[in-house]
Amino acid sequence: MKHEETTDDFLNRLLNGEADEEVLSTLAARAESDGELAARLSDELEFSELVRQALRVDVEHSGEHFEADLASDDFSTDDLLERVREGSASRFECDRVVRHLWEHPDKVGDLRMKMAEDEWLREALVESKGEEAFVDSLATRMWAETRKDHFVADFTKRLDEEIASHAHEDEAENVVEFPESNRGLYWQMAGMAAAIIVAGFLTSLWFAGGMESRAESAASIVKSSRDVIWSGDIEPDLEGGLKPGRYQLDSGVVALKFRGGDEMTVEGPAVFDVNEDESAFVHAGVALARLSPDRKGISLQSNGLDIQEPASLMGINARSESSTEAVIFKGDGGVCMTDGGVCRELYEQEAIKADRNKDRLVDIPYNPHAFLKAWELLSGVEKNLGAVRIEMPGSEIGPSSSGQSEVQVFVENEAFEPEQDMEVDDVRPGEFASFETNAGQALQASGQLRSYLLQLWPSEGEDGEEVEASLTFDHEVVGVIYSSDRLASSDQSVGTTMTHAGEEFNRDRGLDSSGDLILLSEDRRTINLKLRGDGERVDQVRVLVALN
Amino acid sequence: MELSDRELFIEQVREHHASLRGFVRSLGVDPLWVDDVAQEAFIVAYNRLEEFDRDRDFGAWLRGIARNLVINERRKDARRKRILSDNLTDVLLSTSSVSDAEEKEIGDRGLAKLVALRQCLQSLPEKSMRMLKARYEDENSAQDIAEEFAMNPPAVRKALERTRTALRQCMEQKMQVATG
Repeated sequence: MKHEETTDDFLNRLLNGEADEEVLSTLAARAESDGELAARLSDELEFSELVRQALRVDVEHSGEHFEADLASDDFSTDDLLERVREGSASRFECDRVVRHLWEHPDKVGDLRMKMAEDEWLREALVESKGEEAFVDSLATRMWAETRKDHFVADFTKRLDEEIASHAHEDEAENVVEFPESNRGLYWQMAGMAAAIIVAGFLTSLWFAGGMESRAESAASIVKSSRDVIWSGDIEPDLEGGLKPGRYQLDSGVVALKFRGGDEMTVEGPAVFDVNEDESAFVHAGVALARLSPDRKGISLQSNGLDIQEPASLMGINARSESSTEAVIFKGDGGVCMTDGGVCRELYEQEAIKADRNKDRLVDIPYNPHAFLKAWELLSGVEKNLGAVRIEMPGSEIGPSSSGQSEVQVFVENEAFEPEQDMEVDDVRPGEFASFETNAGQALQASGQLRSYLLQLWPSEGEDGEEVEASLTFDHEVVGVIYSSDRLASSDQSVGTTMTHAGEEFNRDRGLDSSGDLILLSEDRRTINLKLRGDGERVDQVRVLVALN
Repeated sequence: MELSDRELFIEQVREHHASLRGFVRSLGVDPLWVDDVAQEAFIVAYNRLEEFDRDRDFGAWLRGIARNLVINERRKDARRKRILSDNLTDVLLSTSSVSDAEEKEIGDRGLAKLVALRQCLQSLPEKSMRMLKARYEDENSAQDIAEEFAMNPPAVRKALERTRTALRQCMEQKMQVATG
């Protein structure tokens, strides 16, 4: 016998999100003739809405808000307007102001003018609101959102062209000159491939010897830039060991390795604690942390922020006094406020800010620019010479954002274990390799690898620009792939996104016959490149280094 | 002497950022997010520069972009909003149009206002300056400032209001002198 549904059944289906048109029309018809049911319906729906609101992330402190709202009944209109100007008004208080403004529309303009004046006062009084800070911040954001780091010239030029009233017509056209190619370098590289000494950006290596003496250290320095200056009560010991305690890095960048294998790069000026339990607290500065391949997981905290579920590559920017930013470059993570207990899951290329003035977590645009120096040290490219750009994690494999002819270095996969042997090109240390069919070699699937993609995007015009570059890696190069087929067949093994980019740009890849050359040093640490960015082909070389 | 690109850029941003930020705040944007919205307006302007009508005022064009950004804030998920309240912004937007006299008053000559204001600040009594800094630099509420200065909150609000009024008068006076 079929069970006949009661009004309660219909109501439950509505509240459980299971109402179809029949349920809705039946309930509507019954409520129309039954006032008690209509009132009950209204109550239930209102309560459901309350439940929804209570569950929303931004009202975790609904109890506090409720009490504050009750208290705000005591405020005069002037007080409420003041709270709106402070930015501390709750939504309830804002609504009271709105009611007041609807009754007194002539006051709206007055309020707007006062808020504008407040803003000007902030700009006049507060250093972080000053012009320089604004322009710097705009520059960073422009870089992140337009992917053009020559925007200053570009912006200026375009404004000059477009805004006649602001034009500076006498100005010479601003041209960013491409650095001159070092013609001697190529031959120099050929002669001393094994012992190349380059003067590129940073890094002096702290040798791994003396690890025993670092037994008491919670972490040790594995790399550092040349401009490192420490101050404060304790400093790293002579062998680069860091005992638990607070460190003050006045300048430079250091890469630390914790006992469990996790890495953290800190850019000064910074103040940070290294703790016995594989954790770090960044009080000020910029830090980038990378989990070891076994994903043990460093515990990372900063002012107001606690990364409780570490992602495989994540950053903390604690340069501001009022807020701390967390950025996830790779993997997924979980971030909580240290005091409020508010937590958020964060996914790849997401960023969040802990606003300490307001005890809240706020989504912000993903902007990796602040971590550029830290990343250059963490990327595993010890030294570079020539026109080289180390791309940030998550960068799309496409044309260089600078618009210049330069070798882009993408870290495709920081650590992976190939499931089967990989076919690599035949590149022998100390011998030039160029575009030609070769039998290749099998790189045995044993141990962990890191994969880099070196790329020169062809320049416009028939005569491409010749680019020479030299890259020294912190691990031994065990495989080089430059032929188009092998690049394609190894894409999946290294997990690159190039396949998509390749389809999008519809380009051939790899070295071509126009004089592209590669030279691997005898110690297998340095790759020297001479590439000509012409034609339709994207010059690409995949470099595989052994992590263990 | 020729200006570098960066100097030229700064000049151009300087000319408009102060007025733009004041305008953005006047539409009910959370004080902590004012710079963010203003920067976004600059970026949108940069990306759409070819659409800019040379016969129009660049500042007014920027304000139009910012106004649209604020309108879009109302459609965002609550936790991503950069405004204090949808309803409040609705009311404030209802009186804002890019071309009327009021908008020009809020949006124009921002840099000149800022310079005048800085001069006026120098002549403030020490206590007023401290109170003003507590409010705008440390972002303390009137309640917090009252505790710091051993005053009651309404008195703090009054004192801040008097200081602002004095500063506004001083600023307008200096600007009148400047424009003759």
